[in-house]
Amino acid sequence: MSHELTVIMLTWEFPPRIIGGISPHVYYLSKSLAKNDVKVYVITCDFPGAPQHETVNGVEVFRIDSYKNPSPDFASWVYLMNMNMQKEAAAIVNSLNKKVDIFHAHDWLVANASIGLKHVFRRPLIATIHSTEIGRRNGIHSDYERMIHETEAWLTYEAWKVICCSNYMVSHVRWAFGLPEDKLVMIPNGVNFQDYAKNENTDLNQFRRNFALPEEKIVLFVGRLVYEKGIHLLINAVPKVLEKVNAKFVIVGDGYMKGQLSNLVKGMGLAHKVLFTGFVDEKTLRNLQKCADVSVVPSLFEPFGIVALEAMAAKSPVVVSDTGGLSEIIEHDVTGVKVHPNDTDSLVWGITKVLLDVNYANLIKNNAYQKIQEKYNWDKISQQLKSVYKFVLNGYSKSFWA
Amino acid sequence: MRVILFSWEFPPRIVGQLADYVRELALQLAKNNVETYVVTYHDYLTGEFEELPNIKTFRVTNPVKTHISILTWVLTLNQEVERVAANINYRTNSQIDLIDVQDWHFIPAAVTLKKALNIPFIYSVESLEEHRSHGANSPFNMAIKSIEWLGTYEAEKIIVKSEWMRDETVRIYKVPANKIKVISPKSATWIKNVLETYRILWRVKHKSVS
Repeated sequence: MSHELTVIMLTWEFPPRIIGGISPHVYYLSKSLAKNDVKVYVITCDFPGAPQHETVNGVEVFRIDSYKNPSPDFASWVYLMNMNMQKEAAAIVNSLNKKVDIFHAHDWLVANASIGLKHVFRRPLIATIHSTEIGRRNGIHSDYERMIHETEAWLTYEAWKVICCSNYMVSHVRWAFGLPEDKLVMIPNGVNFQDYAKNENTDLNQFRRNFALPEEKIVLFVGRLVYEKGIHLLINAVPKVLEKVNAKFVIVGDGYMKGQLSNLVKGMGLAHKVLFTGFVDEKTLRNLQKCADVSVVPSLFEPFGIVALEAMAAKSPVVVSDTGGLSEIIEHDVTGVKVHPNDTDSLVWGITKVLLDVNYANLIKNNAYQKIQEKYNWDKISQQLKSVYKFVLNGYSKSFWA
Repeated sequence: MRVILFSWEFPPRIVGQLADYVRELALQLAKNNVETYVVTYHDYLTGEFEELPNIKTFRVTNPVKTHISILTWVLTLNQEVERVAANINYRTNSQIDLIDVQDWHFIPAAVTLKKALNIPFIYSVESLEEHRSHGANSPFNMAIKSIEWLGTYEAEKIIVKSEWMRDETVRIYKVPANKIKVISPKSATWIKNVLETYRILWRVKHKSVS
């Protein structure tokens, strides 16, 4: 079968290796590209039990021998792993008679390998920047962090186009690395709403009883229990929400603030109203999201906000803080409720509004569901990406490398 | 014959004994009608300079300026070495016969170029991490050793400068002794022996093409 174009995706994680958001992103993106007549080879790190070479949903996956000796530190491991990735990718591309059109790298974790491949094979490089060191650390504070920051800058310098998942990240990346505006492209992240639509043979009323009493509304938080996710604001909102409506606060996820937060809840005498579940499996998470009477994303810093999209896919009404990528995903009073960031009273107002006005809750959740099908649908996202590939290839065909 | 020499030091950048050795090697190769390219590092002298007769020298700088060790420094510099070497190869219509990589620093680049563009390489050993670090085995030393091992494994031939170094290379990296050529720079037949080793690779490459 001949394809319109052939892409090599480089990523340090791909299922079953899941560390952060890049793994599911590349998984759904590659699968949808394959459906849209793009031949995709994924080159990624190995994982115990996963085959070195397999075809998943039309995508050919190669797992390379990542560096397994003890490493001095994480960044040194990344560079050593890239040495191996580049070596193996070079052999793979050579074995394909160099019939590859584009290299597509995801974050600095594969910068070295993808930049080297670009030059030895003389093919255009595209980079998706999911997150930056300067954003993760809220500034650069050491040589170690600066080295990673400069590696990210190097990747954006070598890339023909730099893709970000929100307008917020576009402007952040442009600022962080001083890039020209026309080098940046915004293509949103997607959500696999079909996963939420499929029947998982669960009686949701029965399932719900594991977490809340029938008369309690469920207020759901999903995320790492860290400062930037604003979970402390939600905990502070608990007594004020309970003054107006009977609810159970279900907190999914883990993080360094967990102990502190559960002590706070005990101190309030509200331990029976707040449930910390820790990590849960995907199916339980989806069912919880389907049961939630409101899903709250009170982040102080949020490059994208995939958890809001997931709630929308689960047809749960959402309350988000008006910041970062969340500001773009939610249209106030249309697809959700936006509240002031870092403001407990505003958060209480948003949550009680959704819980007390059922018609309003239904309106925003139905609008939200429509919105994700229109805009955050992987099929459409992969078509947008394909048109970026074609644009780059058109420019490349006029260059002396072609 | 067309040859690229990789060395992390080359005049005017002199760190140890390697710079002068590589300079002399390049001059002698050119004298023997080998089209000779040198790819090396310099902090601010970049691009092409023709200080030496009939030798084309390319100097690259590190795209990542801040580093935490020579290991990370080397690993982000290799892509620039690859870029320049690939450019030379494309410019000569893939007529580069071999790369002679001096010590461990640019082994990752040589290996990628071999896998991608079928350019064979020789690993010329000036010194080994085992001796430089007095047997230390921290993750840092092990990383450098793993790169040296990769060089011994992927190279067509290994050139060492003494019988002692041959025995050490065999001992440390379990290399078959017949893969190693002992060529002393002090010997009267030095350049003749180097060229003989190059011709072995030349024959391998040209046989595989035809």
